[in-house]
Amino acid sequence: MQRLIVLITTLMLAACSNPRQEVTVQLANQVLLPAHQQWQSRNAALLDSTRAWCSGDQPLASLEQAFHQTQSAWSRLQPLMVGPLSEGNRSWQVQFWPDKRNMVARQTEDLLNEFADLTQPQLEGASVVVQGLTAFEYVLFDEQAALTDNRGRYCPLLTGIARHQLTLSNEVVGLWQQPDGMLETLTSFPNGRYANADKALGGILRVQVTGVDTLKKKLGTPMGRLNSGVPQPYQAEAWRSRHSTENLLASLTGAQAVWERVRSLVGDAKLVGDIDAAYKSVRDKLAALPAPLMNMVEDKANQPQLQSLYADLDALENLQQTDLARHLGIQIGFNANDGD
Amino acid sequence: MSLTRRQLLGVGAAVAGAATLGGWALWSGRGQSPLLLSARNDDAGQHYAVGYFLDGRRAFATPVAERCHDVCRHPFLPLALFVGRRPSRESYLVDLRDGTLVQALHSQSQRHFYGHAVFHRSGQWLYATENDTGEAGRGVVGRYRLDSQRLQLIHDGEVSSHGVGPHQLAWLPDGESLVIGNGGIRTEGGSREAMNLDTMAPSLVVMDRHGERISKETLPQSQNSIRHLAVAADGTVITGQQYHGAPWDSVPLLAIKRPGEAYQPFPVATSQLAMMKQYTASIAIHNEKRLVAMTAPRGNRFFIWDLDSAATLVDAAMPDCAGVGAVPGGFAVTSGQGKCRYFDCRSREVTSRWLELPDAWWDNHLGLA
Repeated sequence: MQRLIVLITTLMLAACSNPRQEVTVQLANQVLLPAHQQWQSRNAALLDSTRAWCSGDQPLASLEQAFHQTQSAWSRLQPLMVGPLSEGNRSWQVQFWPDKRNMVARQTEDLLNEFADLTQPQLEGASVVVQGLTAFEYVLFDEQAALTDNRGRYCPLLTGIARHQLTLSNEVVGLWQQPDGMLETLTSFPNGRYANADKALGGILRVQVTGVDTLKKKLGTPMGRLNSGVPQPYQAEAWRSRHSTENLLASLTGAQAVWERVRSLVGDAKLVGDIDAAYKSVRDKLAALPAPLMNMVEDKANQPQLQSLYADLDALENLQQTDLARHLGIQIGFNANDGD
Repeated sequence: MSLTRRQLLGVGAAVAGAATLGGWALWSGRGQSPLLLSARNDDAGQHYAVGYFLDGRRAFATPVAERCHDVCRHPFLPLALFVGRRPSRESYLVDLRDGTLVQALHSQSQRHFYGHAVFHRSGQWLYATENDTGEAGRGVVGRYRLDSQRLQLIHDGEVSSHGVGPHQLAWLPDGESLVIGNGGIRTEGGSREAMNLDTMAPSLVVMDRHGERISKETLPQSQNSIRHLAVAADGTVITGQQYHGAPWDSVPLLAIKRPGEAYQPFPVATSQLAMMKQYTASIAIHNEKRLVAMTAPRGNRFFIWDLDSAATLVDAAMPDCAGVGAVPGGFAVTSGQGKCRYFDCRSREVTSRWLELPDAWWDNHLGLA
């Protein structure tokens, strides 16, 4: 017993004497795992709410509210999804974006035309396109679905999606918490994935930087940056629920939660100030958007405001990917981002 | 010290016999650990052709102008060509004893390298996959003669690769037939942008070194680009694919052609395919152990399977795993982001340890000398 206490004390002292390990452990315990658990609990609430609405015990507004909260938890989680959720095609099961060919609407209707009384195994055997929140959003908000008039048609699908999401999040949180799971991998070194805490911190930062890059894509795509400048409003994430901006803000919050912990490792006061200012500027500009993103991009008069927001996101990404990475001596991407 | 022909050929004669024993024979025969060769960057983005002994000692790190991809060793001289990564127009012939840059090899006009090449067993010829940018996407195999007087590779013609976008090539055991992965992707000029994702036609071609086609086989999915490969001592070919269709599609990212059999998917578990993010990088075969290893850098995953039974020996997380090569007892694996690793396969319970090599910035392939 005495030996064990000595060992634990030694390990704790070792951790405390290594600020990067300390920050990595904090991030795992206090930011990453809780974000996964919040997503899990929102999925549980969504399933409850779906069942209640389908049985006539709850107004539609309550279901919409539960959906928004789930979507928000998922958005916040995206810059934080180190490990299981980013592996094995799991994240595609949560959200289908970008949907360049309106596959969600088409495949959802095709599925329900094929299976009038959809069962869970039938949904599990179907494409990821119809298993996630984007298909749920289509049913809930798209006029084509006319949900309130077609409760019998859509309720098996809504319930099935909510159940699928809860099962998926249970599995992912399980993979975090099990012995030798992701939490242990990010808090005890060396291990099979990371040789030391530096490598784990690098892994977390890479996911976070990728999350910021995804924010740029989610803004830039409807602006028409991939379409010769011609706006593509229906390429906005969550255009049907008009919640694109709220989702972007939630993702920014997730990314910033990593920075808030990493900040203590940065000795360069100017760099700290620049990154703090970049987060504030992006947040302020996002919050100031007066209308849903799909409506904003359609009006040319809004272009300067959107371009300015995009430029700030770009600056934030560069500050982290280049300046912060160099300051910390962490390498963000090589073959995985630019292979052959 | 500059390299002379006499010195080089003297070394060549001494090691010619040892070279036939295996990739690592050149140095292990002299009591040293294998020499790992790779393209690598530094933190500032400078490109290097490097050689490190597996025990961590640096043999050389030669600055080069362009990023390289694979490395091909001369069969008996202490020379290797670090091959320019597409669309590079330069490759670098390096003296493995001290890293001296012997030659910067320039591609022909309207040609660029695709990152892979092989020396013929005679040591006199080198074959490199190249893109004909004058007839965009036409795959060619450039032939180079090693001028033994001047120690220079000299372009000596080319033949068709019988497909678009040829990538890795390797010798079959006869030493005269080449197997080539035609990735099927057309790029133009100095660009890396794919121009034909909807009309891709990747293929696995076997041809003699003079260009005569022996076979041409395909996989069912036209967007499944056949890129990397390795050949076992018995002639079994394993290929690794990069899929350009939907990210959630489940397609064969590993395929096999056993001698006398048709080219077909290697039976990899669906769950393993899902971990690869539609992208495989480097493949190596351990002939003594009959094992095949593969890196999937986008999925941050490294695998080892039994070549004959397809049983999984290793399915491990490894951030941005890059090059893999067979070494005594197992495999050495480099990483673009993390630490390099050795997998000890001397028993069926594979163990691993971190290698004392520099962290990160290793390109997707490695060679061993």
